[in-house]
Amino acid sequence: MDRRTFIKTGAGAGIIAASGGLSAPALSQGAAAKTLRFVPQANLANFDPIWGTQYVVRNAAALVWDTLYGVDSTLTPQRQMVESEEVSADGRTWTFKLRPGLKFHDGSPVLAKDCVQSLIRWSFRDPMGLMIKAIQEEIVAIDDRSFRWKLTKPYPKMLLALGKNNAPCTFIMPERIARTDPFQQISEYIGSGPMKFVRNEWVPGARAVFEKFADYVPRSEPASWLAGGKRMLVDRIEWVIMPDPATASAALQNGEIDWWENPIADLVPVLRRNRNIRVDIGDPLGNIGAFRLNHLHPPFNDVRARRAILMALDQEEFMRAIVGSDDSLWKPLPGFFTPGTPLYTEEGGEILKGRRDIEGAKRLLAESGYKGEPVTMVVAQDQPVTKAQGDVANELLKRIGMNVDFVATDWGTTGQRRALKTPPAQGGWNIFFSWHAGADCTNPAGYTAIRANGDRAWFGWPDVPAVETEVTAWFEAKNLAEEKAAIARLNKAALDNVVFVPPGFFLTYTAWRSNVTGITKGPLPFFWDVAKA
Amino acid sequence: MLVYVVRRILATIPVMAVVALFVFSLLYIAPGDPAAVIAGDQATPEDVEKIRRSLGLDRPFLIRFGEWVWQIVRFDLGTSIFTGLPVTQLIAQRIEPTLSLMVVTLIIAVTIAVPMGVLAAWKAGTLIDRTIMAFAVFGFSVPVFVVGYILAYIFALELDWLPVQGYTPIARGIWPWFQNLILPAIALGMVYIALIARITRATMLEVLQQDYIRTARAKGLSQRAVLFLHALKNAAVPIITVIGIGVALLIGGAVVTESVFAIPGLGRLTVDAILRRDYPVIQGLVLLFSFVYVLVNLAVDLVYTIVDPRIRY
Repeated sequence: MDRRTFIKTGAGAGIIAASGGLSAPALSQGAAAKTLRFVPQANLANFDPIWGTQYVVRNAAALVWDTLYGVDSTLTPQRQMVESEEVSADGRTWTFKLRPGLKFHDGSPVLAKDCVQSLIRWSFRDPMGLMIKAIQEEIVAIDDRSFRWKLTKPYPKMLLALGKNNAPCTFIMPERIARTDPFQQISEYIGSGPMKFVRNEWVPGARAVFEKFADYVPRSEPASWLAGGKRMLVDRIEWVIMPDPATASAALQNGEIDWWENPIADLVPVLRRNRNIRVDIGDPLGNIGAFRLNHLHPPFNDVRARRAILMALDQEEFMRAIVGSDDSLWKPLPGFFTPGTPLYTEEGGEILKGRRDIEGAKRLLAESGYKGEPVTMVVAQDQPVTKAQGDVANELLKRIGMNVDFVATDWGTTGQRRALKTPPAQGGWNIFFSWHAGADCTNPAGYTAIRANGDRAWFGWPDVPAVETEVTAWFEAKNLAEEKAAIARLNKAALDNVVFVPPGFFLTYTAWRSNVTGITKGPLPFFWDVAKA
Repeated sequence: MLVYVVRRILATIPVMAVVALFVFSLLYIAPGDPAAVIAGDQATPEDVEKIRRSLGLDRPFLIRFGEWVWQIVRFDLGTSIFTGLPVTQLIAQRIEPTLSLMVVTLIIAVTIAVPMGVLAAWKAGTLIDRTIMAFAVFGFSVPVFVVGYILAYIFALELDWLPVQGYTPIARGIWPWFQNLILPAIALGMVYIALIARITRATMLEVLQQDYIRTARAKGLSQRAVLFLHALKNAAVPIITVIGIGVALLIGGAVVTESVFAIPGLGRLTVDAILRRDYPVIQGLVLLFSFVYVLVNLAVDLVYTIVDPRIRY
C-alpha cells in the first residue's frame, strides 16, 4: 500500500475528513518537473561571495552572479561576460569589452562601471586581486561596455585571476552594491547570472530558492564548467539544507529530493542498491588533506621534527580513515598539487613513498632536540575529515615517541585557536587539521596553504624563501613549460622544508535521481544543462 | 488572581535579566570565532582580523553588553552576524514549525500517556501493567534519533505512507501540514509519553488507595467514573506539573528531531547558531526559550486552580 492508496482508504479517511479534505499538492506535475530540489554540502548561511568565501556561498553565487571569464574543464579561462580583450605590447594595459545585451536581475544593463567597482571590491579579498592591486596604476570605465586596467608591470595570469573558480571569484555586481566595504556584508543580491535569488523564500539553515532569469543571454558555445552557454533547463532550483546524511539519503531514495551534492561514503552502498539513483564521483579534482604544523614553536620550528613526520606518515592510513574501504576514493599524494592536472608533480616526494621509517623518524626527532615536551594537537570533532586525520595522526605521533596533548574541540574553536601565535602552553597550538579543495590546489594562485611568506602565510606561518621564489616564478612564467618547471621546484622546496604535511588526496561522491540528466563532474555543482523528466 | 498573574509576569523581568547576563558572559568567554568561520578556510589571519573588527567583536565586554541590553529594552534582538538578517525575522521564520511540532507532540503524548498510566494503575501488577511499564522504559531509553530513523524507514521508505523529511506550513492545508509532523511528533513524544505514563500510574496508584475511592466504589459507581471522574481528577496536579516540566524536554528534543527530519525550526536554528558562534542569534533564542519556560510555569500554576479549587493565589 502506498501513501496515496492509504489516504484514499479508511486509514487515512478519518484524518482527511477531520482536516476538511485533501489539499491540492504544492506543485503540479509539470511544475515539479521544472523544479530541481538539491541538497548542498552545507548551509547557505550568508550570501555575499566576496565577504564570505565558503565553498557553499561560491557555489550558490555562481548561479546568481556571472563572471568576466570562467575556467573550463581543462582549467583554461574562457570569455564569459567579456566579448573581447586587448593587452598592450608591454603587457601592462588590459582593455576589456563586455558582450552586448547583458542585464542585471533588476532590469538595468550591465555597464563597465559595474565591472570596475566589482573588481575593486574583489581585489581587497582575493590573493590574486591583492597582487594586481599592488601593481595597479588605474582601473577605469572607458564607455558603457569597455574598461581598462593599467598596471605598473605585466601580470601574465590576468585571465586566470578573472576566471578562476576558487573563492572569491570575480562575480560582477551592480556598482551601488559593489561599493559595499569588502569586509561588510552586502544586503542586495542582484546579479546578472542565469538564476535570480528569491530572497523572500530564503530561510538560512533550511532553504534557498533560485528562479530562472528570463533575460539571461547565454553564450553560444557549449557549457563547460564556468565557461560557455549557461542554459537553464529548469525554472526553479530549491536548495534544501539537510544536516543529517541519513535523512538526505532517505529523502533521495523516496524521491523527495533530486540531487544530493555529497553523500557520505558509508551511505553510498545503500544508494547504489536503489535503481532510481545514480552515484558517481562529484568533483574529479577532489580534496587534499592538510596536517598543519606550527613553524613558530618547538618542536616544529626545526625542520628535522617536521621531516620526521613525513618519514613515518602512511598516507593510506589517513585516507582510509576518511573514505573507508572504497579504493576508488583516494590516491597517494607525494606532493602538494592536485593529481591529474597539468602542473601535478612528485618532485621531492620520495620521502612520502615506499616503506615507512618509524625508527628513522625517531632518530631525526631526537636530533631535532625534542625531549618529550607536550605537542598540542587541536582536532575538530564535528568535521569528519579533520576528526579522521586527527585520530590517525595521534597514533602516528605516539609511535614515533611524541607526547601528544590531544585537544578535541569543534571547528568554530579550531578556527579561533589556529590564529593564535602564542606558544601552545599559552593557548596556542602545534598541530591542527583541515583540507583543501583540489580545485584550489591546481596552481599557487588560490592555494593559500602552500605559501611560505612567514607572518603573511596561512596558519602555521612557514617562512621558506625558496618556496616564495618559485611562487613568483610561476606567476611570471610565460608558458606551460616554465610553469611546470617552477611548480616542480616549488613542490620540492615545500616538501624539503615541510610547509605542511599532505596526508593524501581523496574524492567524494555525488548522487541524483535517474530522472535528472546533465549533471557534470566538476569542482562545484553546475546547474546549467541539468534537466528533470 | 489578576494581581497574582501580573506579579508573576513582572517577576519574569529580573529572571530574564539574569539569564541575559549569564548567556552573554558565557558566550563571551566561550572559545570560537565567527570571523574565522565567515572568512572561510582559505582566508589569511589578516582577513579574519579585519572581519572581526568590522563585526565589533574586538570591543570590550561592557560596551558590547551595554549595546545589546539597550537593543533588548527596545525589543530588538539584534542582527545575525552571518545572514545579516534581524534575529526577530529569523525566529519568526522558524517559530511555526517548532510550535507545530511541540503542540502536535504534546497532544499525541497526553492523549496516549494519560490513559496508559490510568490503565497501568488500574491493572497494577498484571501483564498489562508490566507491558505498559516496559514500554515506558523503552521510551526513556531509546534516543530520539534512533526512534526517528526507525519510523522514517518503516513508514516513509518501506510503506511510502509519509514523507521522510520537511515541513509544510499550515496555510497550505491541514493534511499536508500534519503528515510532515506525524513521524517527528511520535519520535519526539516517546520520552514524553513514558514520563507522563509513569507519573500518572504512580499518582493514580496512590489515589486509588484513598478512602473516598473506596466510598465511590461502594456507592456502585462504574469503574470508568471512579477512575476518570474521581481518581484522575485528584491525581491531576502532579501530572500537570510533569507536563509543564516536560516542555523543557520538548525544547531540547526538538533540536535533535528537527535535524533528523529536516524541519526548519528553532532547534536547528539554535544548533547552527552555536556551531557558527552567531552570538546575537544564540542570545535571542536563549532569551526566547527562557521566556517560554517562565510562561509555561505560570500557565501550569494557573491550571492548578482549575483542577484543584483548594489552591488559591
